Amino acid sequence: MQTSAIRDYAKAKGFHRQTLDRWLGWQPADQDALEEIASSLKIGENHLRDMMDWLEEIALRDGAKIHEILARPAVFSIKTDPRLGRADKLKRIKEQLRRWRFPRLAGIEESIRIKIRSLKLPSEIRLGVPAGLEGGRLQVEFSAGSVAEFGKLAQRLSETASTTLAAEIFDLLAGRTPENEQGQS
Amino acid sequence: MENLQFAEVIVERGSEASPIYHRMRRTLAHLPFKIVDNIAPDNTATAHGDRFGAAKRTLYLTRHKGDFLKKCPGSEGQVCCNYFVINFASNCPMDCSYCYLQEYLADNSALKIFTNVNDLIDEAERMLARHRGVFFRIGTGEITDSLALEPYTGMMGELIPYFAEQANLLLELKTKSDCVESLLDLDPKGRVVVGWSMNPQRVIDLDEHGTASLIERLNAARLCQEAGYRLGFHFDPMIEYPGWETDYESMLEQTFATIDWRKLSWLSLGVLRQTPALKRTMRERYPSSALLAGEQVLCPDGKMRYFQPLRVEMYRKMVHWIRRAAPTVKIYLCMESRQVWEQVFGFAPTCEKELGNQMAPEVEQPIHA
Repeated sequence: MQTSAIRDYAKAKGFHRQTLDRWLGWQPADQDALEEIASSLKIGENHLRDMMDWLEEIALRDGAKIHEILARPAVFSIKTDPRLGRADKLKRIKEQLRRWRFPRLAGIEESIRIKIRSLKLPSEIRLGVPAGLEGGRLQVEFSAGSVAEFGKLAQRLSETASTTLAAEIFDLLAGRTPENEQGQS
Repeated sequence: MENLQFAEVIVERGSEASPIYHRMRRTLAHLPFKIVDNIAPDNTATAHGDRFGAAKRTLYLTRHKGDFLKKCPGSEGQVCCNYFVINFASNCPMDCSYCYLQEYLADNSALKIFTNVNDLIDEAERMLARHRGVFFRIGTGEITDSLALEPYTGMMGELIPYFAEQANLLLELKTKSDCVESLLDLDPKGRVVVGWSMNPQRVIDLDEHGTASLIERLNAARLCQEAGYRLGFHFDPMIEYPGWETDYESMLEQTFATIDWRKLSWLSLGVLRQTPALKRTMRERYPSSALLAGEQVLCPDGKMRYFQPLRVEMYRKMVHWIRRAAPTVKIYLCMESRQVWEQVFGFAPTCEKELGNQMAPEVEQPIHA
């Protein structure tokens, strides 16, 4: 058990008392598993709090231990990937935890990303969705350097709007999936 | 519904002359009543442990010093239903794990009943007289349950006869209890709606501690409908979990098999929502509640809700099941954005006045059982 290591780390990083107390309230094996990642990636308080929220909630939902979650192969392979720097490892571990914490949200976000890529739009047109899909609107951004290019991009957008892929993107944003539609027929 | 377990009643001097005090001396005769000069904040605090939970065991009788009537604050950026609230008590004897009062009343959690009902009626009289052309929907369940304390206070015997006489309002009593006995001999004259917050029995068992069961709520609703009250149902907060569809569809079937939907005033839908601060409190008070692990995201109004496609899907399913049984009943969404309204219904009210007016017209023709 590394209580003193956790206290030292929290002190060095200037964590709030609540964050430290919450961490020390975990089971020893869970405390240690997070300490190992936090120390090696030098995780700040805000990132650590996100991770604590997600880990506790995944553990609650799945009936798993936090140290078991952090020992899953997906986390281990990111932690030990020699090609990644510290910041990238933290980013990817957080992304992985978020995918486990919000599996359906992450699944829809990924489906939309895949569909957007499949539209094969030129780099001057960017499509995006809001954080957490809140608002249900597709963000469309494009830039043109001439009237001719403007016309070409507008034409391309217009063609894109009538594709099945575009309709599927909006269906996903509106919570419409074939399974849902079937259930309400 | 289980009897509420109070330990004592603390009475602020001056309140012992009120009818409520005398009724409570009778209905809670087994409890000690203590008269104090004033209710200081430190009278309400417990030094250690679950302060909020502990506060529910002591009843305070006091006069309300501020305004009784307030416009419902709604939620920033959301379509609002133009609702006014009367606070005749503060805090609730029941203890739902998601209750927003855990945050809203965190520093003022004493369970208070306000004894100056005459002042409440005088204030309502002044407001209604000033705005005879305006239609008011007035609720009493914002910071307390409207009926949970009714067996002890008998307050509705004073409020309902007054509000039933007012032409330009509907009074809504919102509850998770089945404490309707005292209402049944009163004549609401079509101007009182008794609204139940509804959830499947599984959710009640896990997260609505000390409340009436689903069957008790439905039986109480049926009795009120037979006594001439309008009914409202608030399927709020809807909780998403594996198998929620079966439970909610079955609850709706049970509801429409028990009451006559044609006499329903409205149904509302809303999903579980909480601020990050409330979630921290829930973690402390109910660390094993599955509500903490829903797929909720932070919305622009600062509240966490299930992510939009998920909750839109939930609303659409609920609307589908409701419409199947009650094709023309009025349904509205509580604290939702225009985008969500449009995705669920294909339209959004243009303004809160429009939504408020949609709730109003039927009052012109009082119903009788």
